[in-house]
Amino acid sequence: MEDEKSYSDICGGRLALRRRYYSPYCREFGLSSARLSLRSLTAVTCAVWLAAYGLFTLCENSMILSAAIFITIIGLLGYLHFVKIDQETLLIIDSLGIQMTSSYASGKESTTFIEMDKVKDIIINEAIYMQKVIYYLCILLKDPAKPQEISQVVPVFQSAKPRLDCLIEVYRSCQEILAHQKATSTSP
Amino acid sequence: MVENSPSPLPERAIYGFVLFLSSQFGFILYIVWAFIPESWLNSLGLTYWPQKYWAVALPVYLLIAIVIGYVLLFGINMMSTSPLDSIHTITDNYAKNQQWKNYQEDAIPALRDVPISEVNKMFFLGAQDLNTQ
Repeated sequence: MEDEKSYSDICGGRLALRRRYYSPYCREFGLSSARLSLRSLTAVTCAVWLAAYGLFTLCENSMILSAAIFITIIGLLGYLHFVKIDQETLLIIDSLGIQMTSSYASGKESTTFIEMDKVKDIIINEAIYMQKVIYYLCILLKDPAKPQEISQVVPVFQSAKPRLDCLIEVYRSCQEILAHQKATSTSP
Repeated sequence: MVENSPSPLPERAIYGFVLFLSSQFGFILYIVWAFIPESWLNSLGLTYWPQKYWAVALPVYLLIAIVIGYVLLFGINMMSTSPLDSIHTITDNYAKNQQWKNYQEDAIPALRDVPISEVNKMFFLGAQDLNTQ
C-alpha cells in the first residue's frame, strides 16, 4: 500500500512524505524536498554577476567577467552534485536491517545500511541546532557485545529536517516493526 | 569561627575607602599625564613617562576588545554546542553510572535519569491512546 502526505520542514518549506508498505514488516519512507527553484537560481546568478561587474568597473580587467561566468557554472554543478539533496528514503526490513538513501539533484545516490543486530532503538531526540531547538529522528546503535550501552547516534532525514508531526508518523511505524522484531528475536 | 556574611564591617569600610582614594588618584594621574605638555613635565623634573600615544591608544584597545568579546563569546557558544550525531545529546557519564534503587509501593520513586526510549514511548506512543478516547 502506498500513500503520500504533505508536511513542512523546520524552515517552513514544503516536504512530501511517501510511505510504502511492501509487506507487514517491511516499510519505506521517502521524504522529498522542493527542487531548486528558478527564482533562487536567477537571484544568485544576478548577484554574482553584478558583483563581478562592479569589480570590473573598478579594475578594468575583463578576466573578472569570464571568471564570474566560470564560477557560476562550476558552482551550480557542484551544488547540484554535492549539496542539494532531493529525496531521502528510510527502508526498514524486519530482521534484516535499516537502509538510508539520499539522492542528490544531479542523480547521485548515496546509501547507508545498518544491520538489525546493531540497532538498539529509533527515537525522536531534541537538540540545539544553530539558534533553534529541533526535533529529529535518530537511530541508536549498540555494540552486540554490550547490548545495554548506546555506542553511536545516527540522525536520519538530515537535509530534509521535517517537523514533529511527520516525525511522529515515521516513529510510530518504525516502533511497530521494532516491537515485532524484538518479540520474534527473543523467542527462539 | 566567624561566619561569612555580606554585612558592613569596619575592615570593609577601610578597604572601600582605600580603593576609592587610589582609583581617584589613578584617574587624576592619567588626566595629568595626558593633558599637560611634555615640556612642563620635563621642567618639573619628571622625565621618565610613557609616550603620550598610549593615553589614546589604550582606551581604544580596551573598547575594541570588548566589542570583539561579544562576537567571540557567541562563536565559542556555537562551537561548544554538541553536533546532532553526538552521544552527549542523549546521555552522559552520570546517567550511565547512576545507581538503581528498588521500587517501593506507595513511595515517591527515587530521582533518576529516565532513558530516552522510555521518554519517547510515553510522549509519542501513549498519546495515541489518549486521542482515540
